[in-house]
Amino acid sequence: MLEMITAIIKPHKLDDVKEALLANGVEGMTVTEVRGFGRQRGKTENFRGSEYNIDFIPKMKIEIVVPAESVDRLIAIIGEAAQTGKIGDGKVWSTGVGKLLRVRTGEMGSEAI
Amino acid sequence: MNSITLKERLRDKDRRRFFFAFLGGKAIGLLVAGLAIVGFGPWLIGSAAHAVAPNADVPIGDVVNATNTAWVMVATFLVFFMQAGFMMLEAGFARTREVVNVLQECIVDTCLCALLFWAFGFAFMFGVGNSFIGHEFFFLNGAPSTYGSTGIGFMAFFLFQFAFADTCSTITSGAMVGRTGFKGDLLYSIGVSGFIYPIFGHWIWGPGGFLQTAHGGVWMRDFAGSTVVHTIGGIVALAGSMALGPRLGRKFKRDGGGLPPGHDLTIAAIGGVILWFGWYGFNPGSTLSALDFEGIGRVATNTTLAAAAGGLVAMAWVYPRFKKWDMGITINGFLGGLVAITCPCYWVNPFGSVVIGAVAGIVVVLGIDFIEHMRIDDPIGAVAVHGFAGIWGTWSLGLFATGQWNDVKGLFWGGGFKQLWAQVWGNTLVVIVTFVVSYALFKAVALTKTLRVSEEGELEGLDIHEHGSPAYHPESAFMGKGY
Repeated sequence: MLEMITAIIKPHKLDDVKEALLANGVEGMTVTEVRGFGRQRGKTENFRGSEYNIDFIPKMKIEIVVPAESVDRLIAIIGEAAQTGKIGDGKVWSTGVGKLLRVRTGEMGSEAI
Repeated sequence: MNSITLKERLRDKDRRRFFFAFLGGKAIGLLVAGLAIVGFGPWLIGSAAHAVAPNADVPIGDVVNATNTAWVMVATFLVFFMQAGFMMLEAGFARTREVVNVLQECIVDTCLCALLFWAFGFAFMFGVGNSFIGHEFFFLNGAPSTYGSTGIGFMAFFLFQFAFADTCSTITSGAMVGRTGFKGDLLYSIGVSGFIYPIFGHWIWGPGGFLQTAHGGVWMRDFAGSTVVHTIGGIVALAGSMALGPRLGRKFKRDGGGLPPGHDLTIAAIGGVILWFGWYGFNPGSTLSALDFEGIGRVATNTTLAAAAGGLVAMAWVYPRFKKWDMGITINGFLGGLVAITCPCYWVNPFGSVVIGAVAGIVVVLGIDFIEHMRIDDPIGAVAVHGFAGIWGTWSLGLFATGQWNDVKGLFWGGGFKQLWAQVWGNTLVVIVTFVVSYALFKAVALTKTLRVSEEGELEGLDIHEHGSPAYHPESAFMGKGY
């Protein structure tokens, strides 16, 4: 059984999360620059004396596919590494993965991780 | 073939309308010009007549002073334009999140420096006083028509020196990118532009400064400021980056990290070349005389040769490390060459300039390595380029001066150690005093808790935290309604 963990974190926490995952047996990951908001909603910035709102704040999205048995442990690890305790720390969740193929070798399923 | 005949063009209604509108516009323009000539004619023709037949009674001194003043003003504008170079270089070498901060610091430094130099900086530096500090011309009061025996309009000389002071104060900000609070920046800039640069500069350039005291007929020489501008700026930068500590998360080479890459190398490269361009005001302008045509040409050529040698040598020196032609280090290398030749440019020959520049290229690379090894975070390379190359340039005069001009003769031209000793001791004194005073200044500013931004602000980036706006795409689709 495979699961995909998706983490939305603060951009400057990317390095910490990456290190923590590498130290815990994760061998690869996909990272995307994304924007969004949660309960905090947006924030204001200024330009030449006036204010404007930014509804969607820059975040990093990390995606990794892992064996189902390690999901709880890895989510906890990500949460710990990404936490600052301040508003806007992000979210981590997992979803089931149907099929997985390693393109180079043709391996399928958990062998392809 | 789809060429249109004239007949067809005239038949086209739009074209006809355009033609008449165009013709009407021309007619109005001619009418205005004609009226202007009739109205201002006598004045125009009168002034033209003056230009053709100059008054033979004008004393030669007035012509000389005017010529020299015009030359110094041209040089002043070039030196001022170096601000644009600094802004681009520093912004390009910085990370995206701190670009607005870098630019804002350079702009505000310029504004601040202009007012401080007018109020008392110039008085401390170029006023007559004692050998440590000047006290004349506060707020430019009591200014004569020309400065001293230079024969240059007083205010032209002031502005030229302001442009230099501004350069010095901008250099310091380069090593402090990414973590300095803006209030702290204002406070230390007042110290640097208002006191450190003018007072220490007085020792070398001011009337009666004690480093100009001759020992056996030889005294410290600094033609355009390898020590006064660059060593002081670079050493203040060193003290600043040490007092601040590195940016958060900055890993140094010996800890398996390295300098984070600059975010825009196009901007950085063009900024570097603008600095080179501005240096043609910095060095040749320091002759303070357009009549010294030989000197201006020599200085400009020496400046070019040293920069060229510095750039190539720095690039070649770094090539074996990664087998790559590193542009960032090439820029730092030619800037190092320029900094080094700034002091000796008047008294050395072209061959000497090439050697001085080449050595500066190596000094810059090794200097950057050294700063990195000491775990000091200097994002722009200001300490190596301005501090270390400035020190080398000042010393190099004592080695390479040929003795053809003003009897300044270095070791390699049979002048013995006298000039070298004057250069080394004067420069070393400036380095030590500048470091101690500026480190104390930074620590004092740190006591007000304004020197360094909060951890949160630094991670978010100074642009948003201190200035409220990112440098790029603040108008993006992610903004709220109504924008």
